[in-house]
Amino acid sequence: MKVGQLSLDEFHALLIGQGLRVKMGPFNLSVQTRLPLLIRQLHQMYSHYSLAEEDEIVEFHVRVIPKHSIRQPLARLIRFEVDGRSPFPPVPVEQALATLEWGVNLVIAMRINHLLLFHSATVERNGHVLLLPAWPGSGKTTLSAMLMHRGYRLFSDEFGLMAPETGDFFPLPRLMPLKNQSIEIIRHYLPEAVLGPEIPGTLKGTVAHIRPPQASIERADEAAQPRWIVFPKWVAGAALRLESLPQSEAFLLLATNAFNYEVLGEAAFDAVTRLVRGCECRKLVYSDFDSALVALDELTDG
Amino acid sequence: MNSWYSSRFSLLRIESWESEFTVFQPESEKTHFLNEMGLQILVMLDQSPTSLEVLCRKLSEYFTLQPDAQFLRQVAQILQRYEALGLIERVKESE
Amino acid sequence: MAEFKVDVRLDHHQLLLEAIIRPATLVNYSHLQWELLLRVARRARLLGYLAARLEKNGSLDKIPQRAANLLRSSLIQAKKQQQSVNWELNRVLWALDGREIRIIVLKGMAYQLQDFPNAAGRIFADLDLLVSKEALGQIESMLSKKGWQRHVLTDYDERYYREWSHEIPALVHPERGVEVDVHHTLSSPLGNLKIDPLPFREAAIKVKDKGVYVLSPEDMLLHCAVNLFQNNELADDLRHLLDFHEILQFFSQQQLSFREKLIDRANRLGLGRPLFYSLYFSRLLLHSSAPEQLEKQLNHQPGWLTLRIMHDCVPLALLPQHPDQPSKWVELARLLLYLRSHWLRMPLYRLLPHLAYKFYLSVFPGKSARAKQNG
Repeated sequence: MKVGQLSLDEFHALLIGQGLRVKMGPFNLSVQTRLPLLIRQLHQMYSHYSLAEEDEIVEFHVRVIPKHSIRQPLARLIRFEVDGRSPFPPVPVEQALATLEWGVNLVIAMRINHLLLFHSATVERNGHVLLLPAWPGSGKTTLSAMLMHRGYRLFSDEFGLMAPETGDFFPLPRLMPLKNQSIEIIRHYLPEAVLGPEIPGTLKGTVAHIRPPQASIERADEAAQPRWIVFPKWVAGAALRLESLPQSEAFLLLATNAFNYEVLGEAAFDAVTRLVRGCECRKLVYSDFDSALVALDELTDG
Repeated sequence: MNSWYSSRFSLLRIESWESEFTVFQPESEKTHFLNEMGLQILVMLDQSPTSLEVLCRKLSEYFTLQPDAQFLRQVAQILQRYEALGLIERVKESE
Repeated sequence: MAEFKVDVRLDHHQLLLEAIIRPATLVNYSHLQWELLLRVARRARLLGYLAARLEKNGSLDKIPQRAANLLRSSLIQAKKQQQSVNWELNRVLWALDGREIRIIVLKGMAYQLQDFPNAAGRIFADLDLLVSKEALGQIESMLSKKGWQRHVLTDYDERYYREWSHEIPALVHPERGVEVDVHHTLSSPLGNLKIDPLPFREAAIKVKDKGVYVLSPEDMLLHCAVNLFQNNELADDLRHLLDFHEILQFFSQQQLSFREKLIDRANRLGLGRPLFYSLYFSRLLLHSSAPEQLEKQLNHQPGWLTLRIMHDCVPLALLPQHPDQPSKWVELARLLLYLRSHWLRMPLYRLLPHLAYKFYLSVFPGKSARAKQNG
């Protein structure tokens, strides 16, 4: 059963009741909230997700609830809670969706260690995974939004989830927060993309979420092996360059950016070594999305 | 006079990437990134406790360098750093 | 606060205690029992402990995959923390450069050094050391020379540490981030319960091949009991009672007369009260096999009224709250115990300003780096 098959009333009843239990990639998530605004937004943005199987454990239990502040009695604030605790301070009610999505990512990053968590956009083409690791100015969310609307299967714009023993990558298609100028860029390039409300004033500026395509969510159980690692960098006015990157540098960048490289110890050292040795490593400098897409298509054609 | 010794060298996991090395140190569970000279220092200190002067002479022979005072200072700094990281130990020799 | 519907068919305390006492039953848990257990155990910081037990008896593969994944994740984290603290101890000993300082390792790291049954999967992040008061300054200066820095404190925290608790703030090496707490006492020197650290230091036992000491078995249990019932507020502290219970069981099985020696030691050091409570609640909650006769031999037993109140309040505080349904009674019980712990630790004239400051922080968070961590 898909969220989209529920009427708004049924959906509402779950969120204010025992919780909306949805499947997100390898995890199940339970969400509770009474905020009418957030309920309406989620009904649209979560429509492609399946409800969790009846007899399955849900890993993460989160809530978004109103918060009354002594210092700002008139402000309409909300609080994100996981298992009854708030990992960060309250925010204005308008930021509920962004806070929920951010909070769930945080919980995954804090609690999951049976998988190696790279900080990377991850997409699949021709049966193999292309990693686009985050480094400053990478524009990975924008780039992965483009790719997923041009025939690539979205795994995640934020996490590369890898089983350290097998090297398999797992999809975790979640809402993707576009920031500031990239919102307009995506509206222009991808008029077909479904975007959530523009949320101004967050820690990262104005944010609007893009909903992953139905096909990416429906195939979220299909893992794949990695083949390409491309470090993207958006530079205004730069001519397109797709150059090979020394493997040692790829190792360094991947390991230092991973969420739990240190925690996994030797297993992570082995896993990253095997990953980098088995992949083609590139550096992509671009200013124009069309030519970047052409270059990535060529790389992943074979 | 001090000597240095990499007594735990055999425990290290070393992966070679052309001219660079990733070194996993099981005791600290840290990954170190070393260039050839960085690794060669550990290799040389594995064979026997070695003083700074002897180490510098061996290194300059190996890499065909002219050892000067600055080179000596740099190697001394690296040894201090390696010691703090637990990669090597200082051996105090009674004269 | 908006109330959501909560499944009340499951007793979350019973679920957690059953899992600890009879881990073999875990393989029969339903998915809903698992779901609640995982959340409650995480709050009690016992996920890693449960995971280690399941791993040891080979049942991690016999439970639902999603539960096993979360348990493995916690176990990996716990192993990492143990390794980090272990390495920190290695680096501290290196920094002290062969100086003849008698260092006694306390708490989590001490359990690990001795490979106690409660050590596997145990979550702890700090290295706690006990030294003589005279050695304190020397250790601080030697560690500072090798790059350790004082944990960032507010002026208030700093004054509190130095003047009132007579301890030095935690030292942290910025490259590793592990807190090193160097103590010269085992409880606040201003508390009603005076603990002379000297007999503890004198009875300490050398750990083979490590160059450090740990407390003697009896003293380790007494220290655990004091931490539980004299120094702390008991909130979500079940894991420390479990430490006590498992260590007692471990030594009782090794030495027939161990329990009697423990009682003797407690009476000689005037620590009958915290030991009484530790034995009492180990039996009540964890089904310890230590007979009731045992604590009857202690001096300083609580009166019947005090025991009645503690009997009702302590389990509510020790056991974690339901994650979806915090109870007001529990809040009250915890407040009472919080006040009690401060009463025990400090004379009243000092207690009031400290609590007032804490209250101020909870209304205006962000004034102190340390308050954020505690909150």
